[in-house]
Formats: sequence, C-alpha cells, structure tokens
Amino acid sequence: MSNFIEMIMRDLRNSIAVLLVFVCTLVFTSTMVSAEAPRGTITISKEAAGRIAIALDRTSAKGGRESELARSVDGTIRSGLDFTGLFNLLQAPANMRTVQGGALNFSALNSVGAEIYTGGTMTRQSGKVLLDMEVYDALSGKQLMKKVYSGAEGQVRPMGLRFCADLVELLTGKKSLLFDSRIVYVSNRNSISVCDFDGQNVEHLTSARTISMNPVISPDGKYLAWTDYSSGKPDLYIRNLATKATASVGKPGVSIAPAWRNGSDEVATTLSFEGDQEIYLVKPNGTISRRLTSSRGIDVSPTFSPDGSKMAFVSQRSGPPQIFIQDLQGGQARRLTFSGSYNTQPSWSPAGDKIVYSSVQKNGEINIFTINADGTGLLQLTRGEKYNESPAWSPDGSMIVFMSNRQGGKRLFVMNSDGTNQRPLLQKEGDQQQPSWSKGR
Amino acid sequence: MSTMKYFGRSLFIPSLFMLGACCCDKDVVVAPIAPAPPVAAEATSAVVLTPNIYFDFDRSAITAASEAALKNNAAWLSANPGKGAVIEGHCDERGTSEYNMALGDRRATATRDYLVRLGVDPGRLQTISYGEERPADPGHNEAAWAKNRRVQFNEK
Repeated sequence: MSNFIEMIMRDLRNSIAVLLVFVCTLVFTSTMVSAEAPRGTITISKEAAGRIAIALDRTSAKGGRESELARSVDGTIRSGLDFTGLFNLLQAPANMRTVQGGALNFSALNSVGAEIYTGGTMTRQSGKVLLDMEVYDALSGKQLMKKVYSGAEGQVRPMGLRFCADLVELLTGKKSLLFDSRIVYVSNRNSISVCDFDGQNVEHLTSARTISMNPVISPDGKYLAWTDYSSGKPDLYIRNLATKATASVGKPGVSIAPAWRNGSDEVATTLSFEGDQEIYLVKPNGTISRRLTSSRGIDVSPTFSPDGSKMAFVSQRSGPPQIFIQDLQGGQARRLTFSGSYNTQPSWSPAGDKIVYSSVQKNGEINIFTINADGTGLLQLTRGEKYNESPAWSPDGSMIVFMSNRQGGKRLFVMNSDGTNQRPLLQKEGDQQQPSWSKGR
Repeated sequence: MSTMKYFGRSLFIPSLFMLGACCCDKDVVVAPIAPAPPVAAEATSAVVLTPNIYFDFDRSAITAASEAALKNNAAWLSANPGKGAVIEGHCDERGTSEYNMALGDRRATATRDYLVRLGVDPGRLQTISYGEERPADPGHNEAAWAKNRRVQFNEK
C-alpha cells in the first residue's frame, strides 16, 4: 500500500515538475503570442499528467435481477471514472477469477498493463441492494480498499458514484466533489434546468417561458438565483429550493448576472436603478445589502474568491470590457486582464489560484482562457471552434463546463481544467447555455 | 465597422439629409425638429415615430446620425400628449450575454436621457434591455450586426 502511494506521489511530483517548467517557459516566452502557443501545452501536460491504468472487472452477481443491477452499476462506474479524465479504463482479463470466489489471478493483469484492479459483487438482502467493492494494486496484488455500499434498488447509480468518489480519493489523495455535483443551465433561452455532473437526470426548475438567464445555486445548495423577464423586464429571482418560496429584487432597470458570495448567503448582481450598471450584494429575501462598485460605465459578472474576500468582475472603467479584481474590505480594484480587447465572464477557481474567462478575439472567435489571480500564467483552452462562452469550474476545480456552438446549436461541453479532453455534456435537442456547476449537498 | 456602409443599408433615409448639419456642430439648437420636407408641409400629427436608431460596436453613445431621429421622436411625443414610448436597448450577438444585457440597458438609458434633454417628460418613457436576445436580423455578419445594435421605439 505505502509502496503504491509512494509510486503515485513520485509520478505526481514528476508530472508537476514538468508542468511547472512548461508553464514558466510559457510565461517568459509568450505573453504576446500566447494565443497561438498553447496547442503544444495541451499535449505535453496531458502526457505529463498521465492516466492511471485501471482494469474494471464485471461485478459478479447470482440471479437475474442481481445481474441486471450489476450491469447497471458497471455502466455507472465505467462512465463515472471515464468522465474524470484521470483513468485509462481497461477490460479485466477473463481469467482474473479462475475459481468463483477464489483468489484473484494477478499475473493475468500483466498482459493488459493495468496498475489498479477493481471488482465486486452485487447481492440483495431484505429489499436492499449490497454492492461489495474491492480495489487492488495490480502489481503487488495488495488490497487497497474494500467497502460495501447499500441502498434501495433505485439507488444503484448513487451507490456506483459513491464508489467512484472513494476510488478517486484513494488514488489522488483528494476528496472528490465531482460525483454528487450538479450543473444548472438555461434551456432553450426560456427556462432553467439542472442535471447531474455527467449530464444525466435532467430536471426543469422553472418554466417562465420568457427570456431566462444565468442560473446559480448557492454554496450551501439552498437557493437558486437567476434572471428572467416574467415581470416584463430582466429581474433577479431567488428561490428557496426546498420550500419553493421565491423573492425578487424588483428594482427598475436591469437585475442581471448573479453570483453567490462564498462564505455568506448573499448574492452579487448588477442593478441599474441608480442610473449606472453597478454590482450590489443582495440578501435571499431580495433586499439590497450593499453596493460594491461605483465606477461610471458597466460593472457586471461578479465571481468570488473561495473565502469571499475578493471579487473579480467585468468593467468598462478602462474602455472595452476587461476583468478587474476588487478587495471587498478596501474596495480597491486592480485590472487583471491585459491581453485581448474584450474579456468577460470570469469564474474564480475553487482553489483560488486561477480565473477562467472568455475573450472575444479579432478573428471573430470567442475563446476560453485561464489566468492566475496575480495576472501571470495566461493559458488559452479553446481555439478554432467558433464561440466558446460562459466557463464555470467544477466544485473540485478539475474541470470546466462551458457553452460552445462548435456543432451548430448552443450546447454544453466539459473539459479538464488544462483544456484537454473537450467533449459534449448533453445530447439534447435545442439550446443549452450559461451553465454553472454546484456542489452536492 | 464602416459607419457609411451601415447608413447605406439603413432604412432611415431622412437622417442622411440631416447628417451634415449635425456633424458640424453638436450644439445646434436651431430646428430641433427636422421633419423631412413632405412631412413639414402637413400638421404635426403626421409625425411618425422613427422605429430604430443604431449604435457602434460596444458603444452606447448617441451617434450624430441618430440625432435627427431622436428630435423627430421628441416631436412625435410632443404631438401625441396621451402617448408614451418604450425604449428597448439591443445588441449584436458578438460579445457575451451578461455584458450585452448591461450594454443594452446603457443604450436605452442614453436614448431616454437624450429625449429628456429635448424636453420630454421622463414619466412617458420606459426603458428595457434585451441584450442580444432579440436580434432584428438573425444573420451572422456585419450587415446583420449593424441592424441589431439598436434602440427600438415602441408606442405605448
């Protein structure tokens, strides 16, 4: 066990070293040409980061119903682990289990090149489903984890996802916040929907049938804030998701682009009732707590540092839209983005180190970039794919969800935080846009 | 983007006649109402609300080319004391939705403020931003964008 962890840590350290060297090179050599440079970065960081080769065995089960549930959980585990981009998923060889219930034949794994082996059994006991999962170091044959997950028959998916979370935590050393997280977004421009982290279990939260925008769930999972035109103009609504009680700001002018301030139950939004588009903090009952900006011109699209002490936002104060960072105590703002003439939609990473944003470029594309909160380390994540907008971090910071029209309509995509592994999230008709990613409860 | 090209496409021909005068001197106070000659011959009730004025990319400043239309619309309000106007601010699809929602708001309020300076009672004017959500032209080229960066007037 400790050998294995040492091995993983050594690999991780090596990977990080390679990445650091590369990022430094990038910073020193390409402030000007960074828009063209990072294609190489993506490949190198992908190779350097490596993937864990894992052999997933079929969950064994006796009886028809058990077998059905076992196949279902196998599918959940496979797609859940695949979604993370951390693993190279391998089929476990057929001769792994020479005898049913007997010792595992680890030498069979050598041929497939697996580092990790997982397998389990599915049984039913007094109306409950029991999933007994085991994880082994494929090289030494040492057991790394054994855990039983139980639940009702309808709970097989969450059980499989809990195993995925435990496995990721075991192999990366970090608690996974991915598998119970959810993504809220705008459907067909006129309603708010929510789905699981992987695009499953779509639910509709509103059906205003008027223009609807920018849904965001509060950090404690209690409230949903969004803008729609059900009052005839863009107003901000805050709904208690449990009681469905809904408050609105109800001020003249716009009430747009909400973002929850971490560590509080207040939501920041742009209001224009005082004549200029300024950012205010609003309480869940819709009343204004305080005004945060006071510069002439548009201030919009706030996002907060993990401790809620700083706010990044878009401002016109220096001309075309750029991203600024303001300390909420002192009120002083500094400009963050200098590359590109139209930078908007910032989203602050859960670790606090990076800000992802979208940039309208001279060639007409809109592309997604990350930049360190100190203004260094600019990295372009999308290119050559039309409009890529509204980036938002996964709660664990490992991924970014965004909208792209690269396949025609407005659709949601996800990618790893370094821009690798870009793929569609949902296979649905119509438009989906303006996603935000929230923690599970 | 070429301002001239956009004028060429614009339906708003009367503004062309006024362009020279307005550009030379922003402080022109004379002839605030400049209806086209055929209209001038008739009663003021014949003044028609000009449906749209247009903006430069990422700007909310009233262009010189829009001044005649706004003076015309102020005249319409003056001739129709029982009516008001809804001033809708719109943007083209470039840029991002939240920023464009704020930009549409600025275009609408800049237009309202201009009319108020011409003497219109602000109580008769209502502003609303639609950002990039309601394009007048669904195209994805400069010709379409120029038509979409607008303030639209609706009678109320």
